[in-house]
Amino acid sequence: MEKKRARNDIIFDILSIIQEKRGKIKPTHLMYKANLSHVQMKKYLEELERNSLVKKNLGMIEITQKGREFFLKYQQMREFEKTFGL
Amino acid sequence: MKIAFTPDWFLGTDVLIEIFSFAVLLIFFILCVRSYKLTKNKSTVYLGAGFLAIALAEIFTILTKLILFYDTTFTQEIGHMIITYHVVKSVDIFYYLGFFLHKIFTLLGFYIIYKIPSKKGTTEDYIIGACFIIIAAAFSQVFYYVFHITILVLLGLIIYNYSKIYKKNKLETTKILLVAFWILAVSHLLLCLSTLQIVYVFGQVLQLVSYLTLLILIIGIRKYGKEKSKKRHNL
Repeated sequence: MEKKRARNDIIFDILSIIQEKRGKIKPTHLMYKANLSHVQMKKYLEELERNSLVKKNLGMIEITQKGREFFLKYQQMREFEKTFGL
Repeated sequence: MKIAFTPDWFLGTDVLIEIFSFAVLLIFFILCVRSYKLTKNKSTVYLGAGFLAIALAEIFTILTKLILFYDTTFTQEIGHMIITYHVVKSVDIFYYLGFFLHKIFTLLGFYIIYKIPSKKGTTEDYIIGACFIIIAAAFSQVFYYVFHITILVLLGLIIYNYSKIYKKNKLETTKILLVAFWILAVSHLLLCLSTLQIVYVFGQVLQLVSYLTLLILIIGIRKYGKEKSKKRHNL
């Protein structure tokens, strides 16, 4: 059975998907790609917006500069943990 | 008075190597704290504790060597028998305490790093581990090689653990980590023969190479994260 994703993993996945789409994506595409329900996605997007990691612009979800920096740091820390098998 | 097994011409250089080792270990500790703040993975806290313990051990040895060096010079300048005797006595106590703490913390640090991947330690395991560390450190005060042999055993187990991890993840960074631990193990193997001054120097130099490799690992992790991020952005 697949392990349930942790909150931080979901946030990382959302940011990663937006990055892959050149920094902006339609909410429905994000929901589908991140494998989230509408309620879950709304909750996570609210949190990301509150922390200025993403912003809504003309019906699209955009990653902010702070979001990119957070994503990069998170990526490095995940790499660090993977190196040590944590 | 003899300061550990450092040849006179190497005095100071070995302290520089230890300062460098301390800096690298401190960077690893900071990375562990940052990682925990972001990912909330408790294992990173334990890994950080391991690196911090070894970093503290390096601080103890640096301070001991620096103060010993200063005290010995001071004694020579006075050139008075009675005063010299008291200074040497105080130096003796400092010598034993400083190096004892160095050994305890180094063993503790490597024991924590060895224990992390297994994730199945019980309280009894930790009590036995603590006793084993104290006994090994105490014996090392008389038989210096006991310390290096114990570290060698711990490093052997750490290398075995990380070899298993590397087989699974095939990451370049884990390979670099393994190389660093191998070099450190060889350096401790050489330090078992510290009575031969030149072997002691080679051991110290290998320790420097090992910590340099760990520094390369840090750069690699940062670079790899950036590259992955760029690739995602350019897709």
